[in-house]
Amino acid sequence: MSVQTNKSSSPAFYALMICLIIMAMGPIMLMLATSFKTNVDVNDVNVGSFFFTPTLRNYEAVLCNVLWYSPSSVDYCDPTFGRALGNSIFIALVSTAITLIIGCMAAYALVRFRFMGRGPISMTTLLMRMVPPAVLLVPVFGIWTFQYGLDGTYTGIILVYVAMNLPFVIWILQSFIVQVPIQLEEAAKMDGANPFQVFFMVVLPIIKPGLAAAAIFTFRIAWNEFLLGNALSGRGTRTVPVTIVNSITEYDIDWGVIMATGMLLAIPPVIFTFVASKQIITGMTAGAVKG
Amino acid sequence: MPTIRFEQVEKSFGAVRVLPPLDLTLDDGEFTVLVGPSGCGKSTTLRILAGLEELSGGEIYFDEKPISNLASKERDLAMVFQDYALYPHMNIAKNMSFALRLKKTPAAEIETKVKRVADMLNIGHLLDRKPAELSGGQRQRVAMGRALVRDASTFLFDEPLSNLDAKLRGKMRTELAEMRDTLDKNMVYVTHDQIEAMTLGDRIVVMSEGVIQQQGTPEQLFKEPANKFVAGFIGSPTMNFLDAELVSEKSKLWARGDGFNLPLSKEMTATLKGYSKKEVTLGVRPSSFSTDTKAGAPIELRLVVSEYLGAQSTLVTKCGEAEVLVEHESSSPVRTGGTLKFGVRTEELMVFDKETERRL
Repeated sequence: MSVQTNKSSSPAFYALMICLIIMAMGPIMLMLATSFKTNVDVNDVNVGSFFFTPTLRNYEAVLCNVLWYSPSSVDYCDPTFGRALGNSIFIALVSTAITLIIGCMAAYALVRFRFMGRGPISMTTLLMRMVPPAVLLVPVFGIWTFQYGLDGTYTGIILVYVAMNLPFVIWILQSFIVQVPIQLEEAAKMDGANPFQVFFMVVLPIIKPGLAAAAIFTFRIAWNEFLLGNALSGRGTRTVPVTIVNSITEYDIDWGVIMATGMLLAIPPVIFTFVASKQIITGMTAGAVKG
Repeated sequence: MPTIRFEQVEKSFGAVRVLPPLDLTLDDGEFTVLVGPSGCGKSTTLRILAGLEELSGGEIYFDEKPISNLASKERDLAMVFQDYALYPHMNIAKNMSFALRLKKTPAAEIETKVKRVADMLNIGHLLDRKPAELSGGQRQRVAMGRALVRDASTFLFDEPLSNLDAKLRGKMRTELAEMRDTLDKNMVYVTHDQIEAMTLGDRIVVMSEGVIQQQGTPEQLFKEPANKFVAGFIGSPTMNFLDAELVSEKSKLWARGDGFNLPLSKEMTATLKGYSKKEVTLGVRPSSFSTDTKAGAPIELRLVVSEYLGAQSTLVTKCGEAEVLVEHESSSPVRTGGTLKFGVRTEELMVFDKETERRL
């Protein structure tokens, strides 16, 4: 105990901690501060980063079409952000759901069924993950646009995100399914469950922590992804990251609005992560079989 | 309750044959115990019966109806697993009612059935808990309850007590024995513990290396073992085996070996007539020794260790170079290192063929 206290009370340790905290929190604080500044204050070198007259104008501008009042500060209400937020939520949720459904079934098959090429398939799913999205960009764009006409549709983007996230989800869930004692499945079989009932009523509830972890991962990637989203989305299907970049033009960069959008962008994944992480508990098979 | 018949059932895992063709009939309403050392194929036999393993050849009949192509759930069986296999995400009531819920039994019926079985097993107060909150013994009861709720025709037990501590195991064994008498069901029970087998079984099937060595009532197996394996497996402490030569002298057969010379009973002398001058293995139960030297043929044993067990002690002794276990009343103390005289009840001796290990 005393050794630990000595270690953590050294000034160098605290200095390091403070450095790390500043590095982690600094940009976020700066973004938060800027989102409350007027454009004039942003560009005025005499106005400090954190000392200024705060305003809600930027948020009003971003949320103008979802607010219950029409803000006086906004001359023209641009509906882009509201639409993009809807798109982002829809695309992230749907692609997460599809990835999890396919992923858990694939993982179960790879773990429990004996078939030819099981090992190589299990390995190649992960290999797919090693390909950087930038490499996929051109071929995917070509195929999506010219062969299937999926460019600019939700289907196109969701399909790409599912394909991108599936390998990792399969890989994570495999390690969870391996831990489900086979006796449980045998017991369910003896109790009269068919293979689907065994899977949905016994295996799936037990690997809920794995599903939650995979969901957080998938949701965050789909939510933040820019490169493929930029290439494949149309005007009506753009996600928030794409919208933010598109709002930067040659004539006008509205930093306040961009920062406000950024702050709003960060909220849904935080909520999602908190909700999902409630499911991540240890000891998922406690009490099932004699250890 | 069907009569279950195994006909030439065999099982191989790849090139490894774990079960050579096996014939076995389990009678209606009988408590059958499959017993044998680890890896003797008893669990595999049970799992084949349960439908958890496919058989590689032969057929199983329920009342002359072949069932090997039926899925587990179509065989009307309930099974208790060695390591409980409780569903960790369901509470005890849900665990026990899982099979009934799958069958879409009305909720009211499920409740009464679960309640009845839970009360029978003294787990009625645990129904709202999760398996993780239960002790080993309680989990074992729940596993048992989950099978009993089913009302299946045949119950399968795969070493259900082997994970419990000794005291609890004894208690559960008694309860199982009680249950056996109240339920009119087929029960097939797999264990490696011969005490469980002896106390529970109407009929015991002793297996070794996938082959049935002998089947019969506990008494038959103890008194008339078919071969050396069964004789050594059944009974505790285990039977002593001594190399001996049969010698005919004074119109009697004598088993003579390193440190002993024991006359055989009249009946044995008659049946073993042709075996004079042959090398055999002599089997002596530890309980056949008596401190009263007049109670049987005299034998002198060198005491090595005395294992005190309470009213009884097990004496580890040497007869020549061979180790001999002797059951001994603790009330008459013995001194380690000395030589002791015992009387052997010769009518309890068994003689085994040295090559085939069959009892003669």
